[in-house]
Amino acid sequence: MQGRGLNIILALYVALIFTFIFAPILFSLVFSFNSQRFPTIPLGEFSTEWYVKIFNDPDVWQAVRNSLIVSSSTAVLGTALGFCTAYSDFRYNFRFKGPYLALILLPPTIPLIIMALAMLAWLSRIGLSGQLWSIILAHSVLTAPFAMAIIRLRLHQMDPDLEAAAWNLGGNEWQAMRHVILPFCAPAIVSALCLTAAVSFDEFAVAWFVSGLNKTVPIVILEIVQGNIDPQVNAIGTFVFLTSMTLVILAQAIFISRQIKSHS
Amino acid sequence: MSAPRRLNLYALTWRLPIILWQLMFFVGPVLFMVAISFFVVRNYRMTEAFEFVNWEKMLTRGYFWDSYWYTLFIASLSASVAMLVAFPAAWALAFRASDNLRRWAVFLLVIPFFTSYLVRTFSWYVILAESGVLNAMLGYIGLGPFKMLNTHFGTVVGYLTLTLPLAVILQTVTMANIDKTLIEAARNLGCKPLATIWRVVLPLSRTGFIVAALFCFILAFGDFVAPFYLGGSQEPTLPILILDTTKSGQQWPRAAVVAIMMMLTLFTVAFTAIALAYRKPAGSR
Amino acid sequence: MVKSTKTQSNHYLRRDVLRIGGGVALAAPFVGRAWAETTEINMLAWYGHGEPDMVGAFEEANNVKFVPKYYAGGDNMLALIAQSPPGTYDIILSDAEFVQQLNAAEYIEPLDANDYPFDDMLHEDFTKFPGHWDGDTLYSMILRGGHLGVSYNTTAMSAEEASSYQGFWKPELAGKVGHFDWHLPSLGMMSLKNGNGAGLWDLSDAQWEAVQETTMSLRPQVGGYFDYGGTFNGLKNGEMLAMCGIGDWITGVLERDGAPVASVIPKEGGIQFTESYCIGRGSGKADLVKSFIQYMMSPEGQVKSAQMLAYPGFCVTKAGRAMLQEVDPKEAARSHQMDGMANDPIALINEGRIHYRDIPQQQSLEDWNDFWSEYKNA
Repeated sequence: MQGRGLNIILALYVALIFTFIFAPILFSLVFSFNSQRFPTIPLGEFSTEWYVKIFNDPDVWQAVRNSLIVSSSTAVLGTALGFCTAYSDFRYNFRFKGPYLALILLPPTIPLIIMALAMLAWLSRIGLSGQLWSIILAHSVLTAPFAMAIIRLRLHQMDPDLEAAAWNLGGNEWQAMRHVILPFCAPAIVSALCLTAAVSFDEFAVAWFVSGLNKTVPIVILEIVQGNIDPQVNAIGTFVFLTSMTLVILAQAIFISRQIKSHS
Repeated sequence: MSAPRRLNLYALTWRLPIILWQLMFFVGPVLFMVAISFFVVRNYRMTEAFEFVNWEKMLTRGYFWDSYWYTLFIASLSASVAMLVAFPAAWALAFRASDNLRRWAVFLLVIPFFTSYLVRTFSWYVILAESGVLNAMLGYIGLGPFKMLNTHFGTVVGYLTLTLPLAVILQTVTMANIDKTLIEAARNLGCKPLATIWRVVLPLSRTGFIVAALFCFILAFGDFVAPFYLGGSQEPTLPILILDTTKSGQQWPRAAVVAIMMMLTLFTVAFTAIALAYRKPAGSR
Repeated sequence: MVKSTKTQSNHYLRRDVLRIGGGVALAAPFVGRAWAETTEINMLAWYGHGEPDMVGAFEEANNVKFVPKYYAGGDNMLALIAQSPPGTYDIILSDAEFVQQLNAAEYIEPLDANDYPFDDMLHEDFTKFPGHWDGDTLYSMILRGGHLGVSYNTTAMSAEEASSYQGFWKPELAGKVGHFDWHLPSLGMMSLKNGNGAGLWDLSDAQWEAVQETTMSLRPQVGGYFDYGGTFNGLKNGEMLAMCGIGDWITGVLERDGAPVASVIPKEGGIQFTESYCIGRGSGKADLVKSFIQYMMSPEGQVKSAQMLAYPGFCVTKAGRAMLQEVDPKEAARSHQMDGMANDPIALINEGRIHYRDIPQQQSLEDWNDFWSEYKNA
């Protein structure tokens, strides 16, 4: 009865929330095509100047290349770490399992700025700072929990007897892993790869601290925002957005489609 | 390798690497930071030592505690705002939307996490400025201009950019998982809609809600972008204080003190929250 | 003579590169650049010094590539060097007052004074700039300077009101005065306002106390603390109507863009920031860096520095200034770099209205920074 009026109000409210969340993304897109150096209202003319600028800037390309290296390596490492933990948690019960899980799940609860500080101090202490792979090391720790969560969810859907059945059929544990567990987890692993890559692709606090002279895309953005601020930021942002979105959609498509299949 | 019960090579393969890795690149840095807080700085160089000067210096500073309470306050405030603002939307998505619509909504809400947070903040800057988009729009209906940048409002908007999508997602997922028959049962027993929310929905989603609020708090507590770029550093939050301290004469040990205080606070809040979240309900209905 | 043929051939090279480059622009970053044997020079500098408008021509002519790391503030610079292995940075652009500390920490190499145009300096102070020499050994080469005073929105403040630091306290500006988020320039200005003049950095306890009081009394006027980008935006969009701690180096860029802002040196005096090049200790590319510094000290380089996109700085050599007036009279006039012009930066120095930025003499930098944190929190 009161249903319809309430539904309209709720729909409007949800729309409002989505507007708040998407306004900055949309405006960034708009300003990236705006001719003004300092974006204000009213808008200037339509212009692709900022895109031309970033596409002609070898430093931006270098940063893109660095970001791709960092995020893909992070994805592989973080997902591998996540898989090990998820599988250990799924398969075994052991003493100190709590602390063991805490070890991998805690990093995201520590503010990035603190992680950044600690990482730089520690890595420069053991002589591993200032390199591209310093970022990879740090990011692997930051992203592993996300991979672990996704893969653990998938394992949760698996019949625990399945693995045992494989042993009974004469396979050893390694073979069961290869022929049963890994194939079963494949969609989750792909999702985890995409997710960890996306998280790493946008992380700038830790990256700025430990990277030394190696710049990734978010570091370039940070430098422009701190320095000679101009709409190149928006152009790069739009580019980053498209890259991350591709990854997320891939992850989503693979994960969801497999899930639907597994249910039917 | 053949005896499955013993801690064998197979089991170790999955367990050991991650332990070593996390010890090396997670526990190592954190512990080293604790050690640094006892180092001293001489002539712009950090020297190993075991002294309490940094702790003494920071913890006796009025500005440290001002920042501390302010950060605690503004992070709690923004977490509460995020939770409250998210609730009606999440409720609608959980109970009034089709499964398909809800899946799409959650998917859309994930998108912001994959756009550059810095770029989004910079957009807000342009939207909230006195000569910005929002004030221009308000101007058409004869309001304003309002000062929104460099205020607490600006800071909270920045935090919400980070936390609101998360709050909506977690609340939606939590409530969507509630057994609908329980709600119908409450209705049939004559429970009014608001009372149903209060007495059935909220208690059943307590765990999810507390975890959501905790995440909002953690994200806001540790973020330096929003208070710096949208709040104009007034007052400076702890993350800004950390940056300021590292900038001044190599004072990493003091920055470490601030960082450790932040971590202790976060752990306390997190453990309390988790304990509350998983506590058995007191008495049953 | 040699120089001009060199640049000419560069033009050809450049044209070819642009032509071919169009086609491979997308593929190039992934296959590595054609001139892969390019030497990389690591630069630690304020934002903008490693951008193409500054180093592009030199890069092309010498087949090198600058890899910049940008810092904000001298303390930040020292921290970055300390956290990197020795020899990481080949060239360091430092604020003059921090050269001494770079030297004391053995982060930089000595230079040969004969390599640089010391006989052509616009002001005699520049030949023996404080802290740049250790006895007869040169450690740093002065590149450019700029003056800091009252920066303001011309629609909100008159030139007369801006002619004293007292202008920051104008009631109409409440909540609209911004600070560049670094203690040295802002507190230096407060010290000048207190009438400490040339002794602005050399404060007794009582004077330091008074400076803190003056600063605190400005707090209700303050609308925020900003980095470079924030200062820019704040002034541009009218969020801030006056800025403490900056000068033409920021308003100049906005002025070029048509914004109603200006900077003046008030009657209590102004502060000069001075930027100098140093060669990083342990750099394997000292010779290349030397020729880069020489290039930047040449008239051509000095003009580039005056026109720098990120922020302008005035020329320090006579030949540089002459060339600027010739090739870019508009910028020369805008920045008052004409002999006999009012507010000519060199004339201001001669009149004794300019004080070189320095670090506190009787207090430590930490004390100043401590107070700055307190001030921000007040």
